[in-house]
Order: sequence, then structure tokens, then C-alpha cells
Amino acid sequence: MNNRALRQRQDNLVRGVIYTFGSIGAIVLATIIWYVVSNGIGLVSLDLIMGDSRTFNTDVYVDTGPGNYPLEGYNGDLELFYSENWGLGFVDTFNRAGNQAVEVGYVHPDSPFNQSLDKNAIDEFGDHLIIEVRPGFTIEKGFTDTAIFLGRNGAAQIANVVNAANVIDEISIQSRGDGIRGSLITTLYLIGMTLLIAIPIGVSTAIYFNEIAKRNRFTNTIRTMVDLLTGVPSIIYGLLGAALFIPLLNNTIQTAGGSVISGALTLAVILLPTIIKSTEEALKVISNDLRRGSLALGASKTQTIFKVVIPSAIPGILTGVLLGVGRIIGESAALIYATGAAIKDEVILTERSTSLAVHIWTVMQGEKPNFELASAIAIIILGVVFVMNFVIKLLAKRLSKAMY
Amino acid sequence: MISIRDVVTKENIKRKNRMDTISQAFFMGSAILSASFIVLIIVFISFKGLSPFLLNYEGYNFQQGTVDLDPVNPISFITGNQWLGGTLGLSSDYGIGFAIINTLIVVFFSIMVSVPISVFTALFIAKVAPPQIANVMRTVVELLASIPSIIYGVFGLGIITQFVVFVSGFFNYQTAAGLSLMSTVIVLSIMILPTITAVSETSIRSVDKTMIDGSLALGASDIQTYMKVVLTAAKSGIFAGIILGVGRALGEATAVALVSGNLFAGIQLNPLGTTATLTSRMLLGIKDTTGIDYDIRFSIGLVLMAVIVITNLTLNFVMKRLGGMHEQ
Repeated sequence: MNNRALRQRQDNLVRGVIYTFGSIGAIVLATIIWYVVSNGIGLVSLDLIMGDSRTFNTDVYVDTGPGNYPLEGYNGDLELFYSENWGLGFVDTFNRAGNQAVEVGYVHPDSPFNQSLDKNAIDEFGDHLIIEVRPGFTIEKGFTDTAIFLGRNGAAQIANVVNAANVIDEISIQSRGDGIRGSLITTLYLIGMTLLIAIPIGVSTAIYFNEIAKRNRFTNTIRTMVDLLTGVPSIIYGLLGAALFIPLLNNTIQTAGGSVISGALTLAVILLPTIIKSTEEALKVISNDLRRGSLALGASKTQTIFKVVIPSAIPGILTGVLLGVGRIIGESAALIYATGAAIKDEVILTERSTSLAVHIWTVMQGEKPNFELASAIAIIILGVVFVMNFVIKLLAKRLSKAMY
Repeated sequence: MISIRDVVTKENIKRKNRMDTISQAFFMGSAILSASFIVLIIVFISFKGLSPFLLNYEGYNFQQGTVDLDPVNPISFITGNQWLGGTLGLSSDYGIGFAIINTLIVVFFSIMVSVPISVFTALFIAKVAPPQIANVMRTVVELLASIPSIIYGVFGLGIITQFVVFVSGFFNYQTAAGLSLMSTVIVLSIMILPTITAVSETSIRSVDKTMIDGSLALGASDIQTYMKVVLTAAKSGIFAGIILGVGRALGEATAVALVSGNLFAGIQLNPLGTTATLTSRMLLGIKDTTGIDYDIRFSIGLVLMAVIVITNLTLNFVMKRLGGMHEQ
């Protein structure tokens, strides 16, 4: 009796340990999601996705006089000080350094500030370029025909001064920055180019192993060599990109250092094992009856492969592709070497650029890591990766149900 | 009427055969290309990684201008106890020995933390938990596996280092903003958890039902059966998971680089002190894409590959020995 009670107690203890340890994964996942979302959700907006990463300072003026632009449809949280005569509203806010600053809070759709002129940029005819003043721009200083104002005067006073003006001579503005448009576009380019390179090679390799290769030492050697790629860490692939692809591209298409193309080539090598493996899994479950049927009808081996085998393997290929997309979006170490870590707003395929993951890496460097921006990008990456995971699961279910 | 002779002509058969030959050559070419990358990796990284030991690099410094640097001594590179003796750009006295040891320390502790959690999680999913909870946990592990390394880095720098600062407060210890061996170990053990869990779960589930029934029939409780019979029978699978986990931990770069603190010299055994791994040494402080300070990173890459291969071989050897003892 005593023994049984002791055993019961021991069992309960162990059971408790198993439950505790078993729940650690869930707690960690919840913490990661909570941390990333609570830090970054405030920044996720169209502005973030479409915006430039760099801020720029310039001075603008308008060449028309005041008009009447009644305020309509402002739905910001901050109190807006609005100049009806110019269609421009200001808000008091804090900049990243924590100092008080005045931002443009609202621009009327017909306001002349939609077509203001940039004093510091001219086109080929010597005219000032048109620049659109957008909400989020910081006001540094300015002067009108009647008064001068500074950013530290506060939004209320600036709105008064601007409203009283007959001519706006100059307003010094700073654009918001911290946008990720360039990195997002780079990521999309990387996905497209990488898949374009990796799918044909990967699928052909899988077909060779499953449909054509004879069981001999040569096949075994090649297969072992492909399998070895799975265990190579991504930073080593990055070194391959830097030691092989970058010099290769520098010497053939005259790129200077890393480029989006060298990144895509490197990523293609990283994806190969994944795509080969998932394609092969799909090829293995295709019934031999299908192949024999096709051959018996007089189709050649090539025709059978292209018209029977590959179409039946498409769900498997798709699984590999989705896994690959997830890998591309999350890859950082390899790309730091293979494309560099310089954030760009205008993406050129033959130049350095960053993907979203490397953008996080870049903003996390230095004394003051930008956790908000990093978390905002992380939300986007996690969203895509989790959706991919879900779709892959659905595909796997369909694949196992499919009748071959 | 079409006669079969019109379709199956010699010409047609020849054409089809030719097409088959071409397409088979194409598929074979792709396979050889895929396989060649492992060779290209070794050849090109060796090519670049060995040159610091063979060539005289040009160093540059504002005070002294251009100087000729001696080739790096391979022995002192492998055994060196500090990253760089002398000033950056004026010295070729690089060393990576301390980072090799620190990497092994980090990976060892990560495995020590991660294995019990992973194995119990696997047991939980495979045997103990009710089916619905087991499904949820399986999804959780899959999601953890799909989170990219850079996001673990953000999490590590945002939460784990703060936790370490909090803990070190009890000891009145001043950490480098939480960048430490402890943070690195925690982040790494979270990252290898899904790998070990997934492999262990598969092997726990494939344990023969008759063994479990036998144990239960002999009067053992279910928990006793799981702990003594199932885990023992799944031993080799769990060990295979550990080997995969070690591989992942050794090669993990971005997350580790963000939280390790990238120690400059010396072997770190203090959990609250900064540490450096081979990968963090490779990834941090890239200033230029030419010159010795860049090319030496390829030498570290070679060392990293060697460490991974040696560790893998050792662990496989140990696994075989353990398996052999079990057979007897």
C-alpha cells in the first residue's frame, strides 16, 4: 500500500515535469509573438511599407496665394491646428530622439502644398521640382511675408502664423523615413529570381534521381553530395556567394561588389536541397501504373516525364516552393555576405540592397537598436511565414488524400 | 484509314530516342550541377580562406599609410587566444582558438538546456497529452521551427538580454547590457528545441506497441513505462535529433551574433560575461569587402566547417558505441 502511494507520488511528479516542460515551447512562441506585435504593431501601416528608408531635409515654397480649404475628414489622434487658408494642419508630437517636434498632420486634397516646389532641386530647364508635402513630415522652420516660425514654437502658433500669411516664402521640412519599400521590393525580386533559378534545377535533379538514374555508385555519390548540402549552415552559403558568385558577376556583367542577382544565386543553392527533397517525395507516391500506361500508349520516356509525371508531382513541387519562399524571406546570414547590408530606397538588380530580414539586421546594429522598426518588419515576416506553414499543411493533407 | 506503319516509322522512333537522350542528358546535367555545389563551396571558400596564410596583404592606416603585412601564421590562428593582436589594418596577428572553445561551450550548454525540454515535449506530444492538446503543441513546434533566425535575434536582444540584466541584478553584477554567454545559450536552446523535439517525437511514436504493452502487463505504471521503456527504446532517434541540433547550433549566425557580445579575447565560463562564437566573429565588424580583415572571415568559415564535420563524426561514433552497448 505504502509502495503504491510512493509510486503514485513519483508518477505525479514526473507527469508534472512532463507537462511543465511540454508547455515551454508554447510559452516561448506566445512570448515571441507578443513581444514582436506589441512593439511593432504601431508602426505597421501603408506609410511603413511604401515609405523611403532615409529621411531627407529640404526647403519648400508655394507659388500660389492663399485660398479657402475647409477641414474635412481628419481622423488622427492628435489635436490638429489647421490653417484654412492654406489647407495645411499641424500637430505637436515627439521625434525619435524624444524631443518635442511639430509634424504636418493633415494636407487638404486641394491644398497648394500638394504641388509645393523644392528650393534645392531643379529639373533640366532650371525650374524647381514639385514635391508633395505629406502628413508625417517634420517642420523645422519657415518664414512667410509677415513672420518667421520655428519648429519649437508649437503647432498652434505655427498654424496661426501660416494662416495669416499672404505668401509662404519657405518651410524647411524633414521627410519621415524608416520606410521599408526598398527592402520589400528587393525581397520580392529575390523570391522571383531565386525560384526561377532553383525550380528548374531542383525539379530536374529530383526527376533524374527518381526516374532516370540507375542504382550504381555514380548515382549514390551524386546523391550523397546533394544530401550534404542540407547540413551546410547558411553563413557558409553566404561565403560561397561572396567567393564565387560576386566575382563571377563582377567579371561578366560588371557589377560592383554584391548585388541582388548574386543574392538570388546564393539563395537558389540554399533552396536546392529543399526543392529536390519535396519533389522527390511527390514523385515517389506517383503510381508506376501511370508511367507504364503512358509508355504503353507509345509515349516516349521524355513525353511521359513532362506530360504525366511532372503534372502529378505539382503539389509536391509547390510544397517545396512554399518552404523555399519562407526560407528566402527569413534568410539573413547568407545575404549579409552575398548582397551586403546597405538599405536602399531605389532597387537596382545589379547593385547592393537588403531583403527585409537583412533590414532588421541592419537596424539592430549599433548602440541604439531600433526595436520598433525591427519588430514591425518581423510582424510582416512572421505573418508570411506562418501563412506559408498553414498552406503547406493544407497541401500535405490534399497530397495524402490524392488518389494515385 | 491510318496504318500503324505510318505512325511507328523508323524516323519517328529515332526522333523520340534522340529526344530521350537529350532530355536525359539535361536531367543528368542538372543533378551533376546540384551535386557540384558542395565541391564549389569547399573549393572557393578554401581558395579565399587559405590566402591569408599564404599571401602578403597590404594593410593601411592613416598614420603609417600602406604597409606590407606578414601572412597569418596558421598555428597561432587556430590556437590564438585573442582575435587581433595590434591595430586593425596594421597587423595580421589573427587568432580564433578562443572562439572555437567558446563555440563548443555555448553549444554544449545549449544542448544541456534544450535536450531535457525537447525530449519531454516530444514525450508530451507523442504519449502523454490528450490528442487535441498534442495537435496544438505539434503546430507550436512547427511554428517555432519556421521562425527565422533574425527574429530570434530581435527577441533575444529585446527580452532575453533584459532577463539576464534582471538576473544579474541579484548578484550586483554589471553585464554588458545583458549580452552574455547565458543569453546566447538561452536563445540557441530555444532555436534547436523544435529540431530535437520533432526527431525525438517521431522516434518515440515508432516504439513498438508490444514493448509498451509488455511493460504495462508487468505492472509498471504508464509514466514508468514512458520513462524507462519508451525513452530507452527511442534512444537512438533522440540521439540523431541531438546531432541535428548540434549541427544547427554550430552554424547559427545572426541570432547568436546579436546577443553574444562578440568577446574579443579569452575563454568565457562566466554565464554573465560576453562570449564569441565562430559565426559571430565572422558576421560582426565587416568594414570592407577586400583586404585581410575580410578574407580572414573565410578562414573562419573553413574552421567552422571543420568543427562541424569533426563534431558530427565524433557524435556519430559515440552513437554507434552507445547503440553497440545496448545490443549487448
